[in-house]
Formats: sequence, structure tokens, C-alpha cells
Amino acid sequence: MAQTRPYTGVRILDMAHDYARYATRLFADLGAEVIRVEPPGGLADRHESGPGAAERFAFFNASKRSVEIDFDDAAGRRAFEALARDASVILVERDGPMFDALHELVTLAPQAVITAVSPFGLGGPLADAPATDLTLQAAGGMTWMSGRPGEPPLRLPGGQATMMASVYTATVTAIALVDAEATGRGHVIDVAVNECIAHSLQNAIQVWDLERRISMRGGEGTRDATEDIFRCQDGMVFLASPLSLGTSWKSLVAMLAEEGHPSAVTLSEERWQDRAWRTTSEARQAFREAFEAFTAGHTKQHLTEQAIARRIVLGPVSRIGELVDDEQLAFRDFFQTLARPDGEAARFPGPPYRFSGDHWHVSPAPALGEANAAHGNA
Amino acid sequence: MMDTMDYLKGIRFADFTWAGAGPFSTKLFSDFGAEIIKVESATRLDPVRAGGPFKDGKPGVNRSGYFASRNTGKRSLSLDLKSEEGHATALELIARSDVVTSNFGPGAMERLGLGYDACRAVAPNIIYLQMPMYGAEGPRANLLGVGMTISAVSGFIWHTAYKPGDPIGPGTHYPDHAANCYHAAFAVLAALRQRRQTGEGTRIELAQVESTINFHGPTFVEWAWSGEEPAQIGNRSPSACPHNVFPSDGEDAWIAIAVESDAAWRTLAGILGGAATDESLATSSARLARIDEVERMVAAWTAARGAEDAAETLRAAGVPAAAVAHARRLIEEDPQLAARHYWQSIEHPELGSTIYNSPPYTVDGERVALKRPPLLGEHNDAILAELRGANPTWRASE
Repeated sequence: MAQTRPYTGVRILDMAHDYARYATRLFADLGAEVIRVEPPGGLADRHESGPGAAERFAFFNASKRSVEIDFDDAAGRRAFEALARDASVILVERDGPMFDALHELVTLAPQAVITAVSPFGLGGPLADAPATDLTLQAAGGMTWMSGRPGEPPLRLPGGQATMMASVYTATVTAIALVDAEATGRGHVIDVAVNECIAHSLQNAIQVWDLERRISMRGGEGTRDATEDIFRCQDGMVFLASPLSLGTSWKSLVAMLAEEGHPSAVTLSEERWQDRAWRTTSEARQAFREAFEAFTAGHTKQHLTEQAIARRIVLGPVSRIGELVDDEQLAFRDFFQTLARPDGEAARFPGPPYRFSGDHWHVSPAPALGEANAAHGNA
Repeated sequence: MMDTMDYLKGIRFADFTWAGAGPFSTKLFSDFGAEIIKVESATRLDPVRAGGPFKDGKPGVNRSGYFASRNTGKRSLSLDLKSEEGHATALELIARSDVVTSNFGPGAMERLGLGYDACRAVAPNIIYLQMPMYGAEGPRANLLGVGMTISAVSGFIWHTAYKPGDPIGPGTHYPDHAANCYHAAFAVLAALRQRRQTGEGTRIELAQVESTINFHGPTFVEWAWSGEEPAQIGNRSPSACPHNVFPSDGEDAWIAIAVESDAAWRTLAGILGGAATDESLATSSARLARIDEVERMVAAWTAARGAEDAAETLRAAGVPAAAVAHARRLIEEDPQLAARHYWQSIEHPELGSTIYNSPPYTVDGERVALKRPPLLGEHNDAILAELRGANPTWRASE
């Protein structure tokens, strides 16, 4: 008998093609039968081109199945209806199949959680407005938070609108499923990507509401001079040694003193005990000069080892390709190996969480219609 | 708004999480009706209680808006976990809980006598979540970090850059506010279903660095397939142009415009007029080859207009565009968030009436109604009485 995994027995009809793709992936890795229900030729994400498109497809659709169904054909509709009758979750996304047919889905699958994901939600003046990752990060308040003062606000890289929207989508769908499985009655969830982003802004909403300040990129006036990235011999490190953070500041100054570095004297001046002054641009510049005079002579690895030994909050700024050399990730055997579409083995991110049971498995993204024989009308 | 979306009613957490990522995770459960008992220390305060912003700018353990936003609907039990009595109370609570959550560094729960084995001894089918930064064991297990450290070691800082070799990084402790809190919540929800199926509990370890690398998953796969670092190109796109944040009329005012097809460019060119309509710019490859020139054309148009008006004009024509919004604009001026009743106000004895984000969805057309966050130790008497009621042989002296 097959082993029971967290989402064993759960069938998800997945018509996500953009912002919700990672949500269904999370279920698929934990045992749900996630079936991409694709119109002839495939969902929109099979047609993306340009740098990174194939890799995005591979990451977001790992562990899923695929059926190709012609919604305009009677046999295709019957095949879809048969799938829907046994579905626990049906996920639709704006500009994809069945998004405009929520009532029909509720009738077909009253037991299911029907999750509809769209850039701005199902109603309101922007419901149909065009949007992309860049414009949604801007509209949701995320872009404002990053970048240098004096330069434009900076979006987060790597399609973060999809990541934010997907984790909210996955969790609310899982919660609604608790109730649907208990009562036999489904729910309709309406996820708005811009709202997900506006929900991920650290404390910026409260900073305005309670103190009438607008959080500024660069952190001037709020962030301590030490909380930044600094150049070292072979790259950069990130440091955080505000006075409020454990012994990080004391340990940092002690390290410089023990190494006999002149910056220990500079950073022992009385003004470094003034928390407000430490957030000014003057303090930032002074700290950078003093600290980089030290770090210039040391590698990321050496500084990281010192940080661990001395309880300083400091870590290396890693490039993507350096992650596979990260000693901790290697120790934990984090990366997986997964076949690329051409059959070559390649490294692939390991699980975001680890269970004591053998619950998480990943397999390559499906070819279009690979499960037709089992579920489709082909 | 609905008060009855208590789909998780009957599930109890002994919640030892503090600071950002952990409490943001367990808040999801209290918002849907689970009983989240936040075990706090009056002497080692949750740093977010001590961190601003504060009501009227005045510090106080019950005055932090940051704390409030991460702890809606929870109950607070303050204990001295290092005392025998506090430890016994914690175990008594755990014995009556479904889930134990914590996000301390490696070994901290074990040193408190609340490690997995100790908890399982009193609650055999417990779901036990820990969220160490880099994992419980290994050469960097004891590296100390904040959210930005996780961004640094996972590649996020490197990749967040205007141009090659000039990393800036996210302006927030981003992994705390999306990747790690919601991956953790999803894992607990999965473990709860596993328990409904099998009756068995689960131990979950979420190493925050590993969780965050998944938020960068496609980028990692790009490196793995090509051996090349992803381009550091900020707001630009490797395949589309114009695709950037442009200056608008006003101080520090900006608009994001993303032209991802040649058809969208034709529309935008018609609005810009002049040299933009030149046929030599009809394809994205031609525009990418002359990216600075194209961006100057766009910027000349945007700089003469308010961001919101320009965005509306472009969206109406079918070109993706948005004003770069900050918190005040989101709260006071965003017509979409207002139309969908995104903001909730909750009364609180010390904060007064303050604003909260709704969970970013509706369920059956309704918003989840948030309940106010607890004062420090607010529920001590009630919870101790409940524990005594459940187990008359146990006594915790107050």
C-alpha cells in the first residue's frame, strides 16, 4: 500500500499559469494529485519565452500532472466534469480557463474549494486592469521599500509577486479545505495579488498609521548604520550590529580591538552610544569607512567564522552559484537532483521544510497531456 | 465581515514564537479560529513588543503596532520558563495542545526542557515546528541572523541590484514577511491533515535559509541549467522594453511601466507620439538594443504627469502601469483596496482604534474579521484556571 502523505487523496485541478503556480506546487510535493488542466496547446506558461522561461516552468510545475482538454468540445467538457466531481480544490487564474465560470464550477463541484487568483481581485475598479510582476510590486507597496535614496525605487527580483501571491493562496486554500473536508461543503476564495503584496511590507502600514511617517528606502533615519552590506576581500558581507541586538555591537568592537585594528578606537568613541545619531547618513559613512578598512583584509568565509565564534550578526552575501558551495547547505544535503527536459540531471532546490516523516517528494514537470490516458479525452 | 470563519476552531497552539516570522505564521491560525496561546516572558520581552512603531510614538509593551499586526486574535500567557513552575505550566499547556511552535536558535527549546522529546512525552501526537535560521546542526547552525542575513546568504541581496556588481538587497527583512512565515504555516496545515489521516504527529524543521532559497527557486534553476549568474538588472527585463520605474511629476514620485509585447509598445508609442512611433522601434529586440534612448522617451512623458493620472491613462489603453505606492497612499488613496474593504480598524485598550491589513483574500465573498491582539499576560488567569479545570491534580501557584 502506498504510504500516506499529508495531501494523499486530494485532487487539485490546476489552471494556474502565472501568480498562483507555486501554490499548487506546494500541495503536489506533499502528496496531492495536482493536475494541470490545459487547453489544446497548453496553459499560457507553456508559451512563455525568453531568458528563464523554461526554468520557471520547471520549478513551478514540478511534481504535477498534465491533461490536455478541449473545453469547447463535448467530450472535453465531460472529461472536465468527471475530474471536477472528484476534485478537492479547483484553482483558476485571471486570463486562464474557467476563471469567468466560477458559478459553473460551484455547480459542478459543490464539495470543492474553488480558488480564484487575479492581480486585483474579482471586483473593484481595477479588476480587469492589465498588470505584471513589476506593476504589481509597485501597486502593492513593495517596490517603494527598496533601492537607494536619490535613485528610483527598486522591485524585488525573481518574480516575487508570484511567490507572495502563491504562499497566501496555498495557505488559505489549505484552511478552507479543512472545513470543506469536515462538512462536505466547498468555498470560493478570491485572492488579490496586490493585497498579498501589501500584506508583506514589514511594519510600513503601522509606521504610517501610528506615527505618520512613510518608511523610506535606504533606511535613513530608521536603520542603524551597521545594518548594511560591506565590501570585503572577496565579495561582500551583511552586518547588523545595532545596540539593541544582543551583544553584536560589543562583540564587533571587541573583535577589532583584539585584531589590533585602528577602527576599534574610532568605533569606541562616545557618539556610537547614541542610537539616533547612528541612523544618520553621517554615521553611516563613518561606520562604512571604519568597518571596510578592516573587512578589506578578510574573506567572507573568515568573517563568517568570526561571526559564529563571537556571536556577531554577520553573514556572507552569496551569489546564486555560491549556494551549492555553502558548507551548511552541503552539510544538510539540501539540493536535490532532478532531470531537465533534455534528460540531463541538474541541481534543484530542496524542500522549504522538513518533516520527520518521508512526506516531501519532487519530480520533473509534466509534458503536455502526459496523463491524458488516465484522465483526459484524448 | 464574517465572524464565523472559524474553520480551525478546536485546534490549540502552545506558541513560543517571537519577533517577526514566527508570530506572522501563527496569526494565520488565530485569524481562522484556532486558539493560539502565545507564551511570553515578561523579563525577556518579545523584541517586536519593544520595537516600534508605537501609538503616538510613545514606547510601551502594549503599544507596538508592529506587534499588534503579527498577533491578532491570540491569547497571551506570560511565564518564566526558566522557573520550575513556569516550565511545569508550559508542559501542562503542551499536553493539551495540538501544535507547539517556536523560532528560537538551535538548542534553545531543548535548554528550556521543551524539546521535541519532552513535548512528545506529554503529548504523543504533537505537531512540533521549529524555525532555526540555518538548521539545527552543521557548521553554520549557530550563525546569528536577522531577516536580511537570510536574504544575504540565500542570494536575494546579490540579485536585488540596479546594475551588475552593485547589490542593494531588499529594503525590508523580506524573508520574515512572506517566505518563512507562510511556508511554516503551510507545513503545519499539512501536518494537521496528516494527523487527521493517521493519528500521528509530526516534527517539522523549517530552516529559514532553505525556505527562502525556494522563494528564489526559478533563479536557482536558471543557474543550475546554465552555470551563469542571473542578470542584475533591477526594474528592467531581459526580454522586454520599456520595462522600468520612471520619474513622475512631484517629489519622489514614480511610475512603473511594463511593456511586454510589441502590441503594447504600439499603444504606448501612440500615446508618447514623436520619435516613439518610429517603425525602427517596433520590435522588442530593437528597443532593447536602444534601451537608454527608449527609456528617455518614456521618462520625458512620465515626468510631466502625475503618477496616478499617467498610470490610469496607460492602463485604460491596455498598457500595464502603476504608480509606485507607499503606505500612506495604500491606506488613504488606493481606490482598489478601498473598494474591496481591505483595511480593518480594531479597538484596543492601549492602541485605540488602529488599522490592520485584512488577510489578502475573501472567502465566499467576505473578509476574515480580525480580533484584537493581546496585552502582555492578558489571559494568564483564564488560561491557568482552564488548565486546572482540565487537570485537577495539577496546581500552578500564581
